[in-house]
Amino acid sequence: MEGARKRAPFDRHCVRSEGGARDTELTTRRGRLVDRMGSHCSPRRLALVTALSIAAGAVLFFAPFAGNEPASAAEPRIATSVCNAHELKAEKAKNPGLEIEIPEEFNRDYPTPAACKSHAAALRTDTDGAVQPIPFSHKHHAGEWKIDCQYCHSGTDRSRAAGVPSVELCMGCHEQFPAEYDELSGIQTLKQHWREGRSIQWTQIHRLPEHVKFQHQAHMRRGDLGIQCQTCHGPVETMDKVLLTPDTKWWPWGVPTKKLEMGWCVMCHRDNGASQDCLTCHY
Amino acid sequence: MPEIARRDFLKLVGVSAGGAAAAGCAEKVEQLIPYVVQPEEVTPGKPVFYASSCTECSVGCGILVKTREGRPIKLEGNPEHPVNKGKLCSKAQASIGRTYSPDRFKGPLRRDAGGALLPITWDEAIAQIAEAVKKSPAGVHVLGGDPGDTANTVIDQVVAALGAQRTTYIPFSGEALREAARLVFGVASEPVFDLSGADLVLDFGAELLESGPSPVEHQRQWAEARDIDAHALDGGARLVYVGSRLSLTASSSDQWLAARPGSEGVLALALAHAAVKAAGAASPHAALLSGALAKFDADTAAAQTDIAADVIRSLGAALARANSALALPPGVGVTSRRAVGANAAVLVLNQVLGAIGRSVTVSAEIPGARARAKYADVLALTKRMQSGGVSVLLVHNGNPAYSLPKATGFSEALAKVGLVVSFATAADETSALAQLVLPDHAPLESWGDLRPRSGVRGAIQPSFKPLYDTQSLADSLLAIARKVGGASAAALPAGDFHSIVNAAWADTDARAALQRGGVFAAAVPAANALFDASKLDVALPELSGSGEFTLLAFPHITLGDGRGAALGLLQEVPDAVTHVLWESWAEISVATAAKLGAETGDILTVTTGAGDLEVAAYVRGGIRDDVIAIPTGQGHTVGWYASKEEVGMPGMARGVNVAALLSGQTDEAGGQAWLTEKAAVSNTGRHRRLPMLQFSDNKRGRQLGEAVTLAALNGHDEHAAHHGAHEMRVEYDPAADAADEQYERTFQARGQKNVKASDYRWGLTVDLDKCTGCSACITACYVENNIPVVGETEIRNVRPMTWLRIDRWIGDGETDFMNETGRIQTAPSREKLGEVDVRNAPIMCQQCGAAPCEPVCPVIATYHNEEGLNGMIYNRCIGTRYCANNCPYKVRRYNYFDNQITKWPSPMELGLNPDVTVRGQGVMEKCTFCVQRIQFARQDAKNLGGHNAVIADGAIQTACQQTCPSNAISFGNLRDDASAVSLKADSKRGYHALHVLNTRPAVTYLSKVVRGPAV
Repeated sequence: MEGARKRAPFDRHCVRSEGGARDTELTTRRGRLVDRMGSHCSPRRLALVTALSIAAGAVLFFAPFAGNEPASAAEPRIATSVCNAHELKAEKAKNPGLEIEIPEEFNRDYPTPAACKSHAAALRTDTDGAVQPIPFSHKHHAGEWKIDCQYCHSGTDRSRAAGVPSVELCMGCHEQFPAEYDELSGIQTLKQHWREGRSIQWTQIHRLPEHVKFQHQAHMRRGDLGIQCQTCHGPVETMDKVLLTPDTKWWPWGVPTKKLEMGWCVMCHRDNGASQDCLTCHY
Repeated sequence: MPEIARRDFLKLVGVSAGGAAAAGCAEKVEQLIPYVVQPEEVTPGKPVFYASSCTECSVGCGILVKTREGRPIKLEGNPEHPVNKGKLCSKAQASIGRTYSPDRFKGPLRRDAGGALLPITWDEAIAQIAEAVKKSPAGVHVLGGDPGDTANTVIDQVVAALGAQRTTYIPFSGEALREAARLVFGVASEPVFDLSGADLVLDFGAELLESGPSPVEHQRQWAEARDIDAHALDGGARLVYVGSRLSLTASSSDQWLAARPGSEGVLALALAHAAVKAAGAASPHAALLSGALAKFDADTAAAQTDIAADVIRSLGAALARANSALALPPGVGVTSRRAVGANAAVLVLNQVLGAIGRSVTVSAEIPGARARAKYADVLALTKRMQSGGVSVLLVHNGNPAYSLPKATGFSEALAKVGLVVSFATAADETSALAQLVLPDHAPLESWGDLRPRSGVRGAIQPSFKPLYDTQSLADSLLAIARKVGGASAAALPAGDFHSIVNAAWADTDARAALQRGGVFAAAVPAANALFDASKLDVALPELSGSGEFTLLAFPHITLGDGRGAALGLLQEVPDAVTHVLWESWAEISVATAAKLGAETGDILTVTTGAGDLEVAAYVRGGIRDDVIAIPTGQGHTVGWYASKEEVGMPGMARGVNVAALLSGQTDEAGGQAWLTEKAAVSNTGRHRRLPMLQFSDNKRGRQLGEAVTLAALNGHDEHAAHHGAHEMRVEYDPAADAADEQYERTFQARGQKNVKASDYRWGLTVDLDKCTGCSACITACYVENNIPVVGETEIRNVRPMTWLRIDRWIGDGETDFMNETGRIQTAPSREKLGEVDVRNAPIMCQQCGAAPCEPVCPVIATYHNEEGLNGMIYNRCIGTRYCANNCPYKVRRYNYFDNQITKWPSPMELGLNPDVTVRGQGVMEKCTFCVQRIQFARQDAKNLGGHNAVIADGAIQTACQQTCPSNAISFGNLRDDASAVSLKADSKRGYHALHVLNTRPAVTYLSKVVRGPAV
């Protein structure tokens, strides 16, 4: 059972055991609730401090040699891919003096500069958020192309579960796109999955324990209260890598609750006159 | 190796501990695994239903397989099916466990010289069999039960192509009834009995409400025929039961005639005699009095049956008076060597009562495996095997090594067969003796069809992809025949079994048939049925052996012929009569027990001419003094739950197989006779407490299972009415609902805003007049709510997890407290021979308005919500168990272990319902009124009707209500005066369990109506 689960490059959170609560989904062992902020033991903070110190040290160390660096020869920079060509063109637009050379095979429109950018951003390991098996960018799809959330997460308005799109749904669009898109490793991975009939194992970001029965449909119905996907999921359409954006609500007596924690849910239910009955979510 | 100094070692330990801590400081990552191609009909989070047919017994009820994200999680009855009309029995509810059984074979296997099973490829296995077949085609024999309609045809074709022979053996297959129908009506088919509209029903041991010819259908018809609202004045149909023990059916009857076992035929003819006599010369059957019925006058019969002559005469007169009376034939337990005569006698009685054509349909013969099943053929096959005449034995759909009496020597004869091949889905006694195992799909993975009775053609379709590397029986056989080749193989149908089934259904709209679960029409009566009583040969059967008791081997209600034993769920749902589970028992009367010096739990030795067994005694008043009764079904040595493997003793039999006491005799039709032995019984003096969940049938006057007489209900008997159920109900008044007030006060006190009173108060009613105690509700509840099967050890510790139990009380009981000794012991039985005053009371959480469990919870894990539900919030619970201590109904269950995780073998967890949290160790749980179904219906209603939509009456069915064959349970909104549940709760018969405690339950019981004996 345990072997099926992999440790993902998730570095921000800390775990504590919760006595009464039991997270007992089919494939899980004894449940653990997650303190999603994990401020007191965050490896991220540690990494940040370390990186800053090293950078400062390096600057101090190399400062005396700076003046002696030879000026680089004005060799033209040669693009190595369409995406790279887009980058060089953008640089040249800013700095007209730059010499660039773009081979014919890389002088194309696709993948678009935006696609290249998002793809690269979603692949970065030094930013927040999990690296997914495919560097899928919500910013590119939902933000730039303005694809409706429910086009892919189609169960949202009629089921408890929003659903994750099938490989077939991805291919529905991507099969029609120019072959040049294959330059992106993510597209190659997608097509490989489609060819082999394998599903994509995404890392779950917005996760509730099994004893919470969240109903997507119930929340989608209340657009009249201003409840949108972003209310809980954050500005997904601006994220290349989806992550749990920090949000805090304060109880009247000053106790903070974090996003997707029960207090956070209850505050919203309270403010909107929704059910505060335990059995609404726990059964 | 460099030496590590102590200080360095401590440093290293410190580092690794730090590493471990760091490793623990990462989020547990779950993965989202979407479809590659999402099926159009699937919306994650919503169930998809597939219509199919149940294969647990020969009735072939229609089922709807509820799947979530492509995985079957529950079975429900198919409302369109004419037999079960949306309802299912305990066996069918539990049968989802076959798919997820830990005993399943994961692929083809061969046995090596050491006896171990090793994997083999399909091609190798088929080739090996084909080679053996080619060597001696005449020595090939196919033995099995009922594989379904088309599969049966395919087997015939394969057998013909191979030049092999075939024997059909089904343990409970009704050979005697078919032969009797042939003798009396000239049509060798099992008649269909219809109770609707009947006013007097006689059951000669068919056990029509438990293991009879069609229990789910008969329970519904029985409940409708005596629905007290529709038959307020006369109380509707009366049921008279003939049998030697107070069975579940007898418990629901109005009159119990404790006749001598085996005398059913004589009694039936005596009643026919009395009925014709009472009808006088006008009777069309008056001629029979001097003919077939001449020898069966009341006085002669009284001596043979132990039923008083005046009872026979007055019952005969009542039968003559009745507008629509019918009689059901003797069942499996009383199939004696003279069973054909007894069955024929009952058919003659039906003819005399005018029931043939009205309530009993003698329909045309249905070709199929069941019609040709014959126990005598297996005896012949066994002889052939012993003489070495069988070189290859292919065993399918059955477990003969278990179910055949030991005296037949079948298991020993298997050793003389060159190659034994088993097509079993899961490990059983027969596959344990096979050299090759070619596993068949589980029923929920198979294609197929059934033709259980005239007019009904049920479809079987898979609801998901096979879990393991299995292949359907027909495909395996076809592969063998094709591999053998030859001229005859060319005549075999082309394609795989699925395409053959499709071809067989080509004459229908196959797509519509799959959607509806089959093609259904009325039964076609046989055109050539003629009545002929001249061939009747009815007499008391001779029993072998010299003991002083008659051995009654009766079918266990849920384990049946032993098939149910592999399902842990059926082991864990107690027998509704004795409340024994996970074990075998021997029922003896109080007088017998006194003579033997035995009490319940004492180990007895039962000896017959065929062998002896040690089995625990169960002492009861409701059995004849000359009978010892042992249920079938237990005594398996293979299987996780069937044997004692579950408690760490693989290979050890759980309970006893009563077939070991039988000498393997046949009836006149060649069917298996079960009532053949005299038994001697002695007390070993050893004692082992039987695993049981109810230790007394004395309710001591408490309001737990109330009854009211028909006269009192109609206001004729003031005294009885006063002491009846009328005053026990606390009227439901929303304005004064203390629960509401308490709820609102609580929330006001906590300063919560926006809490409004709800439109709903969920309530449930149980009509004890309709409840037969069949326990289908319990099984459905287990499956729906992810209730763990905890196993024998925990049951012996009396730590069951069931949310719903059925208490069985005899009469009102006396207010004595003689049994309060502080330890578990069994109180003396209050049953009396020939008396029926049984109240079955299903007890689930009463969702009290003023719940005693709530104020004692220190963490408010249990509380009351605005819809009247007593919520149990698992993630708040810290496991103090105060609530369970304070619950007067004792319906709360505590998780002593992580049952599903640490105790369940794989792949049982795959069948869990994703809508219900699996409770972990240290958490209390109890009935929730299927709150997941309430929430599902709420979302469904709002999806359709917008945010303010209300849930329509009937939109929510709790799992117990959904499956209840007799429609005893109603559920709905008590605040809606027009809802079905409100109307029921307002019944004159309504009462609240333990109403003196003023717990204001949401469950209303409707008293059982005591109609009094039929005569």
